[in-house]
Amino acid sequence: MEAATARLGRRRSGGRRYGSGERRLALGMLAPSMIVIALVAAYPIGYAIWLSLNEYSVRVPGLSRFAGFDNYSEAFASTEFWQAVTVTFMFTVISVGLELLVGLGMALAMHEAFRGRGILRTVVLVPWAVLTVVSAITWRTIFEPNLGLAPQVLSTLGLPGADVVWLGEEGYSLAVMVLADVWKTAPFMALLLLAGLQVISDDVYDAAKVDGANTWQRFRRITLPLLAPAILVALIFRTLDALRIFDLPYVLTRGSNNTTTLSLLAHQELTSNRLIGYGSALSVLTFVIVMAVSFLYIRTVGGNIRSLTEDTR
Amino acid sequence: MSTLRLPAVLLAVVFALAFTACGDDDDGGGGGGGGGGGATADAEQVGAANPTGDVTWCIGKDTSGAFNTVVDNFNEANPEANVELLELPTSADDQRRLQIQRLRAESPQCDVLGMDVIWTAEYAAQGWLLDMTEAVEQQGDAFIPSTLETAKYEDKYWAFPFNTNAGFIYWRTDQAGDQPPDTWEAVYQQGRQDDGFIYQGARYEGLTVNFLELLYSAGGNVVNEDGSEATADSEEVRNVLEFMRKGVDDGAVPKAVTTYMEEESRRAFESGRATFMRNWPYAYALGKESEIADDFEVTTFPSYQGNPGAGVLGGYNLAISAYSENPEGSRAFIEFATEPEQQVIQATEASLPAVVSDVYDNPRVIREAPFARELRDAVEQAKPRPVSPVYPQISEAIYNNVYAALQGDKSPDQAAQDMNDDIQQALETF
Repeated sequence: MEAATARLGRRRSGGRRYGSGERRLALGMLAPSMIVIALVAAYPIGYAIWLSLNEYSVRVPGLSRFAGFDNYSEAFASTEFWQAVTVTFMFTVISVGLELLVGLGMALAMHEAFRGRGILRTVVLVPWAVLTVVSAITWRTIFEPNLGLAPQVLSTLGLPGADVVWLGEEGYSLAVMVLADVWKTAPFMALLLLAGLQVISDDVYDAAKVDGANTWQRFRRITLPLLAPAILVALIFRTLDALRIFDLPYVLTRGSNNTTTLSLLAHQELTSNRLIGYGSALSVLTFVIVMAVSFLYIRTVGGNIRSLTEDTR
Repeated sequence: MSTLRLPAVLLAVVFALAFTACGDDDDGGGGGGGGGGGATADAEQVGAANPTGDVTWCIGKDTSGAFNTVVDNFNEANPEANVELLELPTSADDQRRLQIQRLRAESPQCDVLGMDVIWTAEYAAQGWLLDMTEAVEQQGDAFIPSTLETAKYEDKYWAFPFNTNAGFIYWRTDQAGDQPPDTWEAVYQQGRQDDGFIYQGARYEGLTVNFLELLYSAGGNVVNEDGSEATADSEEVRNVLEFMRKGVDDGAVPKAVTTYMEEESRRAFESGRATFMRNWPYAYALGKESEIADDFEVTTFPSYQGNPGAGVLGGYNLAISAYSENPEGSRAFIEFATEPEQQVIQATEASLPAVVSDVYDNPRVIREAPFARELRDAVEQAKPRPVSPVYPQISEAIYNNVYAALQGDKSPDQAAQDMNDDIQQALETF
């Protein structure tokens, strides 16, 4: 590490002499990936923004007109949009919160040494490997009124909820959505956290034991702080994913009973209603919201990670 | 070195994740029209006598093999022409998406388009189809008149009907007796006494169909004759909404229908959980293999409030793409595929209801589908859904508000008024 830094330092100080040549070389080597990024990421985003500033006729062939920010003001004025924002954030906060708890539990369990640990680590990933659409269809069948597994199990056990039409009630529908999401992505969370757990040195725990720290204290004072960077990375991944949720509500409820998320709304307007301008505006707004949330994470949390990593040095 | 430029790395990740949210699978809606007029003239000039050249037929997946049979038959009869089948996905939404993608790009790949009847107006309005008025008028008498209505937009015909569909009332003979109820009111009333009436009540296209079937039976509609004004804030709409809402409230219809699409209703009916079911004819053959095989029959929609029953048409039309490089060959193939002989193959091999009346009397068809004559009655009494280039939005306005009324989120009066406003707004879309 030290040597590498030193080497880097030398090269940096000598940069002045070979500067322009090296810089040109660097640019040349970066160019291909920059071009790929521009084509794959920047162009579609730019194009979507352009589309969102126009209106395209659904009745006159080829007719379009520049609409400025009309599509955006239409979105801001519609209750549908704000409802979708609320639903999306509610879903994100609840499901990511639960995933963190469940995933952390799973990671801690898998971190312990026991027979068959390797197999368990593999098996636990199965839900994650199942396509979301496929698992959504499965959940839809499980919660089918009367005939589904869930109502039958609930009624056999005499528990409440057997007579509820789960996917036909507000609140219950969102609950099924959250359940399906937690089932699928908690293992992913667990895997990220497990990686974090494994880099924590056993020496720290041994030292704590010598000092007489009990299990809870060791968890609270050692595991959690040292795991924080991994937790934050996992949270960011999951939050951004959850904010874009589309497949679950599309399959489970088609957005009924207040489960229309931002992506679902944009899809409806874009592909079904062919309102290309308005639909693109909704997509861009989704994009902006996701960007804003990630900036927030990086501002508040990114700094923390840095200080955390420095603390442990 | 100690600071790992984490923000930058995260930002890159965010960027990569976020841009996938910006799905724009449509281009700018570039000039679609133009080609239509000229090519139509070509199509009219050339009779279908001796078709030549390649034709590609783009339609949903050929699950039964019947589409391929028609293609083979055509190619055999016309050695100088060659039709190829391009199978699109099973889901209608995906078919439409893929067709629109090609049409927007002015791709000549698809010559003959297999379209759900509700897309015809939309495609025609965008200038994606050739005018087939002259061809239809030559052959028109062969078709069941109601099916031709689905191919009509602004007084011109844009397609040939290829197959059709209409809903049935399925009823349990062991519960409701040998005679089906002859009014909608009786279906609900008897449903309340026995195990209920189920239909497609989830918030999607199917609910629009179920609602319109009652509304058409009541003599109402959601748009005026030429499709320019919303007429949903009417006595008939309020009445039907009230009727449907009351059905859920008093237990004639189980609450579960608000989650039912076709398959869920079929499963519930086959498991013996309902006395009556509204569904498409496809559920008949499957039902005859279930536990209740000997205990149900089908009938056409009964009368409502003294008006004769009416249904809503489903099915597919065949049209020629405006970007086709072989309109003559395409037209020849469409005419061939809608001939009675080929329609019999569709009806027997794929259970796709024919658009030609005589087919329903064919012994082979009746053997395959004992309900064939009822089905013809159902198709004859059925009407198209509102013919409009903004149909998807109209349908959304319908199913959103009917669903809200069923759930008790809106009063029938409020739902009718909102439906009217939403449809009017859709009709005024740029």
